[in-house]
Amino acid sequence: MLKDITFGQYFDNNSFVHKLDPRTKLILLILIIVFIFVSQNWISLSILIAFVLFSMILSKIPLRMYLKNLKAILPIIIFTMLINLFYSGNGEIEPAWTLNLFWGLKITSIALIRALYMIVRILLLIIASAELTYTTTPNSLTDGIEKLLSPLRFIGLKKVVHTLAMMMTIALRFIPTLIEETFKIMNAQKARGADLENGKLLQRIKALIPILIPLLISSVRRAYELAEAMECRCYNGGEGRVRMKQLKYCLKDYIAFLTVFAVCGLVIAINIVF
Amino acid sequence: MDNIIEVKNITFEYEDGDEKHIVLSDFSIDIKRGSFTVILGHNGSGKSTLAKMLNGLYKPTSGEVLVDGISTSNDELEIEIKRRVGLVFQNPDNQLVASIVEEDVAFGPENLGHSPEIIRQEVDEALKAVDMYEFRNSTPHRLSGGQKQRVAIAGIIAMKPDCIVLDEPTAMLDPKGRAEIISTIKKLNKENDITIVLITHFMEEAVNADRVIVLDDGKIVADSTPKEIFSNIGLLKKVGLDVPQTTELLYRLKESGMNVSTDVISIEESAQKIYDAIHLEEI
Amino acid sequence: MSVLEVKNLTHTYDGNTPYMHDAVKNVSFSIEKGEIIGIIGHTGSGKSTLVQHLNGLLKPSDGEILLDNKNIWENPKNIRAIRSRVGLVFQYPEYQLFEDTVYKDIAFGPKNMGLTEQEISIRIKEICELVGIKDEYLEKSPFDLSGGEKRRVAIAGVMAMQPEIIIFDEPVAGLDPMGRASVVKMIDDYSKKYNATVLIISHNMEDMALIADKLLVMNKGELALFDTTENVFRQHEYLKSIGLNVPMVTQIMLSLREKGINIPNDIFTVEKAVDYLMTFVKGGNHNA
Repeated sequence: MLKDITFGQYFDNNSFVHKLDPRTKLILLILIIVFIFVSQNWISLSILIAFVLFSMILSKIPLRMYLKNLKAILPIIIFTMLINLFYSGNGEIEPAWTLNLFWGLKITSIALIRALYMIVRILLLIIASAELTYTTTPNSLTDGIEKLLSPLRFIGLKKVVHTLAMMMTIALRFIPTLIEETFKIMNAQKARGADLENGKLLQRIKALIPILIPLLISSVRRAYELAEAMECRCYNGGEGRVRMKQLKYCLKDYIAFLTVFAVCGLVIAINIVF
Repeated sequence: MDNIIEVKNITFEYEDGDEKHIVLSDFSIDIKRGSFTVILGHNGSGKSTLAKMLNGLYKPTSGEVLVDGISTSNDELEIEIKRRVGLVFQNPDNQLVASIVEEDVAFGPENLGHSPEIIRQEVDEALKAVDMYEFRNSTPHRLSGGQKQRVAIAGIIAMKPDCIVLDEPTAMLDPKGRAEIISTIKKLNKENDITIVLITHFMEEAVNADRVIVLDDGKIVADSTPKEIFSNIGLLKKVGLDVPQTTELLYRLKESGMNVSTDVISIEESAQKIYDAIHLEEI
Repeated sequence: MSVLEVKNLTHTYDGNTPYMHDAVKNVSFSIEKGEIIGIIGHTGSGKSTLVQHLNGLLKPSDGEILLDNKNIWENPKNIRAIRSRVGLVFQYPEYQLFEDTVYKDIAFGPKNMGLTEQEISIRIKEICELVGIKDEYLEKSPFDLSGGEKRRVAIAGVMAMQPEIIIFDEPVAGLDPMGRASVVKMIDDYSKKYNATVLIISHNMEDMALIADKLLVMNKGELALFDTTENVFRQHEYLKSIGLNVPMVTQIMLSLREKGINIPNDIFTVEKAVDYLMTFVKGGNHNA
């Protein structure tokens, strides 16, 4: 499973979307997500579909990356689909057709359409979020979040915002290292005959101890060493720190904002008209 | 000022429960500006503690350490001291903060509050100095051990230090990585005029040094040029140091009565010494 | 009869696994009981991937591994039993210690084999005696030991399973000469006492010359050479072409040969070199 998750991975590629300011991408993603749920009919949704597809092409990220990502969450999609499919509701409109299944379960044309509608929304949501992580380095994403949250400094939370951002940066840096370490320790304990695959729940949980303890000890050691290394690099809690890569909105960002505003306006207009 | 670092009669102790450990006592050394000093010692000889005292990460229990004339006990100038004397550790993984190489190298200058344009310049120069510029957009996770360690060194160089202290920087690397680091250090000393203090237990890493200090049990047991130190192999073996096979061979030949000196390390030089000795016997 | 046989082992590496390992291509060899085999090759040459197949931690994409002429994957349910017969000590094994006493940590492997408390205690006593872990250490926490001691406890934890084949990945990495010597002695004592077959991955050619009967050379996932240590080191030019060196002492001897001194090209240890050079000097039997 672990290997299927491409979500949260950055793909280096110098596309239009890559070059956008992370704040632009974050704000626009939130807007698009909101409007995916604001949209109430297929016509307005298809505008959003067109826009997301357009941005996908613009991002130059290979299609298979998105597909792989979707594969990993396939169970959730199927589950949502089934729930929506079998929930017939108390429709005021007579369905065009009804398919009676076993145990009194039935699928109506309305339910089918509604299920499809729901799935398309979820797919859009996931693809749009994935696109953000594919086209934005974890670090610039962190910078973006830090900058967006920076108004909080007016209520005395400057230190909190910086600490959170630093924690995220370090977490992102060490996730691959810790995943690799986990596999190494797992292999080492398996080589000593540890059984990680079989047994009842309680036994399986117990079998994790030989992995978790070394992992914990090594993480503490890493944290300690990293703290010393950071101190040696003149870190003192972010006081007076200046970033090398300053965030600046440029023409591309304004174009992106305008485009998304137009799409959102269109969605609202269509919602009203139809 | 002639000395970048002056260690004056320092003692370092710590308490572990009821036990009191004395790591260094009445210890003094000076490090000359622009020099290349190697400190040799086995595990537990106090060399790592010493490394951390040189930039004020640890403060002496008594005595003082002066960096460019500033005492490391002076808390107000802490950042100044750390900028002047950078420290590189053994495990490259645990020194890198960011997941993009250039952003990691920028960490030090960013903390110093330099302007973005200056930081950019410092980062590029540092990456070029360790020959990692082409990897600037890569992620540390995808690099080899030697490459990661070079990025760690770049992270220090970007702060424009006067001196770099390296605490066993090659201990976790394969032979290729080790060679990369040693040649990088050499280059920084010669071309960038950075004072180097290299702490290690591999004797062959001392071959390019101006000065070699041998540490045992928190005390200096020898302090001289590599040539002089290497001619006293018995001492190095006694304090539990790694002696390369070339030196081992010369040492054993000498013990068996061949007229060779043991003050060389490279294959070519050793072969030449033996060749000369054989011819000498012939005459 | 060979105790371990690898037939056409291929492992293709799927670029998406989080734990990376290198590919292995069509590797075949067989090992006799009691042999000490050195495995050498570049970082990334497939050494680690290869050895993780030998105890079934990785499953071959193609080919098979025969232990006493039986495919280890014949019955996948039995793979844990294989792991107690083919022990694997990873690089920096001290990082896998987790119990609160040395005794319990060494007991982890034997316990997983389903031995009784009494059998376990006999085994621990036996192995500690063999490798020189003193009784008073057994009740200590492994985390209070020095680096070298931790390493020895971790290795003892694999040895206590009494595997007939034991594999080490860079067993002396990061140790000082004293620690190194004690680990090498430990491996030697174990192989002698149990007539065990030993495989050691190492970058250190000087150590290899001292311990290994045969050398297995990996290059870019393929088996480049598999022969006696002498025969492998004789091919110094080939080794150099794939980025590997012969022991330093051999390099000196080769350099002397180039200078016109008549020295054989198969001197791999300091001992032999000293013997040879001294008789050479005394006898004056050279034609330089």
